[in-house]
Amino acid sequence: MKPICLNAFDIISLSPGFDLSGLFEKPNNQKAEARFTTKNSASAIVSKLEEIAQMERFNVKKKDGLVQLQGIKLGRKGQLAIEAEIFEVTPTFHMVEVKKRAGDTLEYQNFCTKELRPSLKDMIWTWQGEQQQQLPQPL
Amino acid sequence: MGCFHSKGSKQYPVFEDPVALASQTTFSVSEVEALFELYKSISSSVIDDGLINKEEFQLAIFKNGKKENLFANRIFDMFDVKRKGFIDFGDFVRSLSVFHPNAPAEEKIDFSFKLYDLDSTGFIERQEVKQMLLALLWESEMKLTDETIEIILDKTFSEADTNQDGKIDKIDWQTYVTRNPSLLKVMTLPYLRDITTTFPSFVFNSKVDEVAT
Repeated sequence: MKPICLNAFDIISLSPGFDLSGLFEKPNNQKAEARFTTKNSASAIVSKLEEIAQMERFNVKKKDGLVQLQGIKLGRKGQLAIEAEIFEVTPTFHMVEVKKRAGDTLEYQNFCTKELRPSLKDMIWTWQGEQQQQLPQPL
Repeated sequence: MGCFHSKGSKQYPVFEDPVALASQTTFSVSEVEALFELYKSISSSVIDDGLINKEEFQLAIFKNGKKENLFANRIFDMFDVKRKGFIDFGDFVRSLSVFHPNAPAEEKIDFSFKLYDLDSTGFIERQEVKQMLLALLWESEMKLTDETIEIILDKTFSEADTNQDGKIDKIDWQTYVTRNPSLLKVMTLPYLRDITTTFPSFVFNSKVDEVAT
């Protein structure tokens, strides 16, 4: 499990201030991605994701810093597929990017809010979710 | 100053000919016309003067005109080529052209270098990178210790700053980016490929038929 190392410019380029796609998108466009940081090791993150996958009936595929979850149940737009990519900021600090790969965006968001985020609660240092609809949740 | 738009009776200040703009950029004439539709809506959102000011720019990106952001400011300054405090249509098209997936890498490398060179000294200094890093961490509410921040800067500069003088010059940047192409990800907007479908232009005096693009 070898996550990609982020340098200062990688981190800087995460800013929404650099993201000109806002010029082309309609308001309230729900982005199907979220980001969180953690002080846990990459392998601890992967184990936790595998645990969640098992509970929620997802198949798991791992490769380098990428964990892919493929839903078994059929949702509104087919099976939900989610990807979590782990990046190393320092050996004791990682950033994880969670993205929807396939399936219904609403189902993805429900999964993140109701299953993923609560299960990861102890690991999460900060969470950057879909900005418009951030539910106030005590960390 | 070229022709003016026949739709409505608004004459846009400094309206540049779509054909000329297309020839200077990666865009086709249809795409420039589509960009004009986008430009019209952004430039009229706060003050209807045919120019994009900082507030309108912030509104377009963040959906919040009052949101100040170091990085959006840098982009605005880069687009505002003549440093007048507003972006005209020519500036808009020529700057966005660099973000097109087909734009040459050299343009993207050049733009990103200037973007990060906050005080325009011709070097990206460690202090500038630190300032941007701190701004990002603050805005995303990511807390890192001073020690961790220095480690990240050390690592970045050991890779990018070839003569280890604490600053990244243009050649250093070129080399660094060529080795790490993901650093140019911010410089490409895939949306620009579909601009004629996202912003269909109902231009009555469209130049498309007159010129073989």
